Amino acid sequence: MISMYLQGDSWAHRLPAGLKLLAVALGSLILFHVSSVWIFTGCLVAVVALYATLGREGLAQLRLLRGIVFFVVALLAIHWLSGSLDEGVVVAMRLVVMVLAANFVTITTRLDDMLDAVLPLFAPLKLFGVSPRTPALGVTLVLRFAPHLMLVFSRLREAWQARTARRSSWRLLAPFAIQSLRMSDNVAEALKARGGSAGLSSSP
Amino acid sequence: MTDRSLVHIAFYAALMAALGFMPPVVMPLAGGVPITAQTLGVMLAGVMLGPVRGALAILLFLFLVALGAPFLAGGRGGLGVFQTPSVGFLIGWPVGAFVAGWVMRLTGGMAILPASALAAFVGGILAVYAFGIPGISIMAGLPLVKAAYASVVYIPGDLIKVAITALIAQTVARGLPGALLSRS
Amino acid sequence: MAFWPKIRTGSRERVCNPDAVPYAVFENVGLTIGARKVLHGLTLSLSEDRVGVIGLNGSGKSTFVRLLNGLRSPTDGKLTLFGAPSAEAEKELPRHVGFVFQNPDHQAIFPTVEEEIAFGLTQLGADKTASREQARRFLSDHGFGALASSPFAELSEGQKQYVCILAVLVMQPRLLVLDEPMTSLDGLSGRKIREKLMSLPQKIVMISHDLSHFEDFDRVLWLEDGRLRMDGPAAEVLAAYEADIDRRLGAGMEVAAL
Repeated sequence: MISMYLQGDSWAHRLPAGLKLLAVALGSLILFHVSSVWIFTGCLVAVVALYATLGREGLAQLRLLRGIVFFVVALLAIHWLSGSLDEGVVVAMRLVVMVLAANFVTITTRLDDMLDAVLPLFAPLKLFGVSPRTPALGVTLVLRFAPHLMLVFSRLREAWQARTARRSSWRLLAPFAIQSLRMSDNVAEALKARGGSAGLSSSP
Repeated sequence: MTDRSLVHIAFYAALMAALGFMPPVVMPLAGGVPITAQTLGVMLAGVMLGPVRGALAILLFLFLVALGAPFLAGGRGGLGVFQTPSVGFLIGWPVGAFVAGWVMRLTGGMAILPASALAAFVGGILAVYAFGIPGISIMAGLPLVKAAYASVVYIPGDLIKVAITALIAQTVARGLPGALLSRS
Repeated sequence: MAFWPKIRTGSRERVCNPDAVPYAVFENVGLTIGARKVLHGLTLSLSEDRVGVIGLNGSGKSTFVRLLNGLRSPTDGKLTLFGAPSAEAEKELPRHVGFVFQNPDHQAIFPTVEEEIAFGLTQLGADKTASREQARRFLSDHGFGALASSPFAELSEGQKQYVCILAVLVMQPRLLVLDEPMTSLDGLSGRKIREKLMSLPQKIVMISHDLSHFEDFDRVLWLEDGRLRMDGPAAEVLAAYEADIDRRLGAGMEVAAL
């Protein structure tokens, strides 16, 4: 399954997903009210240590930070220019710590388990007449069809290339939308043919 | 919710993911800032699916990202992305899709091209930035004005996406009548 | 994929009798979609084990078979399915009638083979673990054990269609309806799928453009412009259909009429 999950069996992998999610949520709430560089330095060391407990592969996951390097640099620059560098350093450290902590949960929790942990939150859906398993089914459908849509797009691109000798164009997006909509009608029909999103067990 | 709505929602969420995998285009017009196709997905979801289904499609997509699917442009995903300064934009996405769908419905009598351009602009730019800029301000500890300056580089790219959205909506309405669910 | 436990526990009367013979009775059934009359004046009853449906593109074949599992409802006439009026039977039909579509890529809902099979079981009320386990057993019973955890997208076309058929069979339907299931398959995979189908205990209604698939069928329906043009033993109907195609070719057809 497509996920950022890191295969493994560490202590962190074994912790219940719900607990990890709760910890990250509480952590970010608390850190938002902290503004001491020393506390953040401690947090940073602690969170890197967390990655280190996963071994070399865990430390390699720190490369996920690359995505926010641009942010951090820009942030420091703007704060420096406005003469509030101290605040900028705190904000940047908070950013790095929180991103690392949140990603730690992501890489140590299977997508399935994460879904199981949050599904009970959807129970109130039944008050609105929607089956609470709808979100899970939606997630499944996306995971199944995202790769397929990419395939559809690359086929369109081939057809386009064959006739124009150009690589790609935004013009392909319209036929792409049409094809995927037509396909989604077929999928809806297939889902209905097998009893629909609400299931069949309601009948005796 | 009908099975058909659920599948449409899931398909637009999957479309968002597929758009995230497309290489970002560097537009000379936008001052060399790479623009990704994903805000295009937000505009399209609202314009094509209508307010409720459009917003739900984006929410489903963000839900998957939060669960750990690397579906944001550049293969990003996981809980971490909701801790970065761009979280405001992510929150603005479903709102933007909703607003775009809503404008589409309000302008029911207008031709599709201008109506969808207006919808994409109001939903995909105004609504999204209304959340995105305060997001930067809060997460990066900057005053609102500075946060607005920091995001202004993306506006030209977004304007291009508004135009593309309108053209796609018009083409789809011609090629597959009935697919423009926001109008049916 | 886990689902939250079922909520609807209301006990509705069961209206279908899965053993009803004939399982489908059409009395002057018609169907209009928008302004177009897709089917009209169909009167027939189905009880045979193997029924084939033929006809040119646009003759109403796909719509006709969709009446059998409630994907479409008649707008005229009376349709009785498994002993119950179609409108009442609709909710129960997915458990009695398995439907296999032309394109397996548009039918499979789940990312992996095992989940795809398990879905049918959860639909019938099984819980996550039980359905996964049962799905694995079912797959190995059908020689697919090795591919249980494979991503659906990585299977060959033949394997995909096979999985779609298994995903329907696991719900133990009485009737299997297939809408051109072999169209996207090569000759070998097509034959294999056909062999599998013929060995099933289920009753079968199948659309195909490859007439050789109907050789040992009990009955074939030939639809033309939404009407039943001919209905009878396979050999007779197929021969008449081929003769008609030859006649049309001889008459020289315009591209616009394709």
